[in-house]
Amino acid sequence: MKSLGLKNLSKTYYDLYEGSHHTALHDISLDIPAGEFVSVVGPSGCGKSTILNMVAGFIPHSGGEILVGGEPVKGPGPDRGVVFQSFALFPWKTVLDNVGFGPKMRGVPKAERDEIAREYLAMAGLSHAADRYPNELSGGMQQRVGVVRALANKPDVLLMDEPFASVDAQTRMTLQDELSRIWEERRPTVLFITHDVSEAVFLANRVVVLSKGHVLADVPVPIERPRVWDKLVEDDAFKELSNKILALVRSA
Amino acid sequence: MNALLPLWSFWVRTSRQWPVLQTLAPFVPVVLLWQAVASWGPFPPAFFPAPMDVVRSFGTLMYKGILPEYLGDSVARLAAGVAVGVALGIPLGLLIGLNRRAYDTLWPVVLFFQAIGDIAWLPILIIWFGFGLTTMAFVIVYTVIFPVIFNTVLGVRSVKIELHRAAQSLGAPPWRILTEVVLPGALPNIVTGLRNGLGYGWRALIAAEMIVGTSGIGFMMFDARRAGSVTEIVLGMIVLGILWYIVDAWVLAPIERATGRRWGLTQ
Repeated sequence: MKSLGLKNLSKTYYDLYEGSHHTALHDISLDIPAGEFVSVVGPSGCGKSTILNMVAGFIPHSGGEILVGGEPVKGPGPDRGVVFQSFALFPWKTVLDNVGFGPKMRGVPKAERDEIAREYLAMAGLSHAADRYPNELSGGMQQRVGVVRALANKPDVLLMDEPFASVDAQTRMTLQDELSRIWEERRPTVLFITHDVSEAVFLANRVVVLSKGHVLADVPVPIERPRVWDKLVEDDAFKELSNKILALVRSA
Repeated sequence: MNALLPLWSFWVRTSRQWPVLQTLAPFVPVVLLWQAVASWGPFPPAFFPAPMDVVRSFGTLMYKGILPEYLGDSVARLAAGVAVGVALGIPLGLLIGLNRRAYDTLWPVVLFFQAIGDIAWLPILIIWFGFGLTTMAFVIVYTVIFPVIFNTVLGVRSVKIELHRAAQSLGAPPWRILTEVVLPGALPNIVTGLRNGLGYGWRALIAAEMIVGTSGIGFMMFDARRAGSVTEIVLGMIVLGILWYIVDAWVLAPIERATGRRWGLTQ
């Protein structure tokens, strides 16, 4: 695991119809030390998904730098694993082959990558689904596969783009519990994008509030781990911090 | 009514055991109606043959070896034409579907030539290549290639951007994205294109054989017209229908089931 640094990152679009430049992100600086979990929250249109797409290398940035372990990055790469809101599993591959895809691209032989995939599937309680196709699984299970697929490729940084936004509320809490547990076990560096404040607080070491393309606040989350919803749902410190950040988001 | 139940039950059991019965059953009333019109209708037998006449003609032509030979000729032409059409159409479709500039340049051209249609080429092809194989080959390839291109482009474009991105961020280089993401993602559409291409190609082949052929099912039917044998014409029509059914049910449908439907990409 490596650190992720954004230095004066900006994104400007040229609007062809209006014939003018439009600033989506302005001078974003953010340091995520190796092994830290940072959530980015903000109202829709604040540019949070744009940040993730630039860090992942899916879209170019207009100014500033993106550093993984101190090295600037260009374009997409396996050092930054991505978990998508739409899961983005390959429908024509079994769960096992989806998870083994990253190792396959690195040239790991079939038997070995199957072993890696099975190990990671077991971690998420998915061993029984290894030979099934994604469309045969529920949304919650598909996203477990999505998370495991990113982790199995051993990325330096894990990027998560509203990964639990399209599953039902109960499943979402279970997935958050599981992600929290997995993070505690493996300590990956995580950049987590969400519009759900309690989710952001529950998972992260720090919550960054974004507003109109700049950083409004960077709030540490001192709540002790392990964190599970059964305990935190009635926890005063958790509720107080969530409300404080919610107020910041609503003022944004 | 109750007396019919065991009969119905017998039918359900046997037709499950022999699915071919289920396929044949709808044709029973068609053949009966045909026989009725032949027996009691106002047409002379030379003008409107009965089912048994056609069966007899089938027996004769099989015995003489004419039907197997012509059928073999037609199927071989179709297979060769489709193979070439697919070999050209899929790469072209991938190029047009993946590359913006290729799309802008080639798409209008593709639309233009698609609109001309296969048979419309025959007059000029006969002048260029004469009555023969080259002309027929051109017509089949021409007919097959367009549905394959169209559906491949559609398939390539139906692959979601997230799947490209997921593959990229898992370390896939461009050519692996082509083989691991674009091709399998487009496969259900490519199979549809192949299915349409085969169907159109088959029809175009029969038409071409009628006009420029010296063998094949289409030639047989047109030749029978010259000889005034309505029976052989009807036989040719029936052979076309059966052959298409076999290709569709035994070759194309299983491919569709094994790909798109299994993956949840099509219904």
